[in-house]
Amino acid sequence: MDITLEPMGPIALLHVVPDRIDASVAIQFKDRFRDLVRDWDGPVVLDLQNVTFLDSSGLGAVVAARKLLGEGRQLDLSGLNPAVDKVMRLTRMNQVFPIHGSVEDALAAHGVAPAA
Amino acid sequence: MSVRDLPSPRQGDPPGGTALGWACTRRFEAQPALVSVELLGLNQTLIQLGLPIEQLFTLELVLAEVLNNVVEHAYQDRGEGRIELSVSVHAGFIHCGVTDFGAPMPGGVLPPARRHSPKALALQDLPEGSFGWALIRDLTTGLKYCRDEGINRLSFRIALED
Repeated sequence: MDITLEPMGPIALLHVVPDRIDASVAIQFKDRFRDLVRDWDGPVVLDLQNVTFLDSSGLGAVVAARKLLGEGRQLDLSGLNPAVDKVMRLTRMNQVFPIHGSVEDALAAHGVAPAA
Repeated sequence: MSVRDLPSPRQGDPPGGTALGWACTRRFEAQPALVSVELLGLNQTLIQLGLPIEQLFTLELVLAEVLNNVVEHAYQDRGEGRIELSVSVHAGFIHCGVTDFGAPMPGGVLPPARRHSPKALALQDLPEGSFGWALIRDLTTGLKYCRDEGINRLSFRIALED
């Protein structure tokens, strides 16, 4: 699955390129996430602005990503589209993640200035 | 492509005006990638018919949950097994029927909605699944299931108005 890593100081900013995280790609999402954060010690921000569809399998994969980081590393979400936000709220999984309106907001919350 | 059998909307129709009475039936194999393609095609067609985006998202989400349950449970992830999906647009709601020929629901009834309280759970105890039936039950009306001579029949409505 196409996810790119952009290092922003201590933050690993992960951009999800496809517009869907659903049952057909949930395993690929988890595998790619695991590979990307393997050697990263700091917090991770998952940029979901491209994602317009998330089902319960996709949500399960995002929760699995959070568990993979363990207690020592934070996982923030940014740029939730209305459909993604609705799934997060209905399942109450919005309580699991710090959620930011944009990548800039997410970086600012960690005290990192966005790239010029 | 999934939109092959679906009617092309005429240009310039008033939003929603041509959608009433629209119906389709689709048959496809129980594979996650095929479910995604079907949902994408259906969604594109219904957007072109002028139906409201937010309700179409609800429809897509509910169908994703229902169809993936069929793939994973009724057909136990075998990668095959026929699914029939019928969708029709009525005044104020979309009706959906899903038929499969796989295993029956446990106990012959619809599973309950599982509600999670993530704040009360340790990180490693957070659920990675079992969200589906709560979403289906919250977002549909008239949800019905029956087992009919080896066939699972599920039907429900998605409201088109708040």
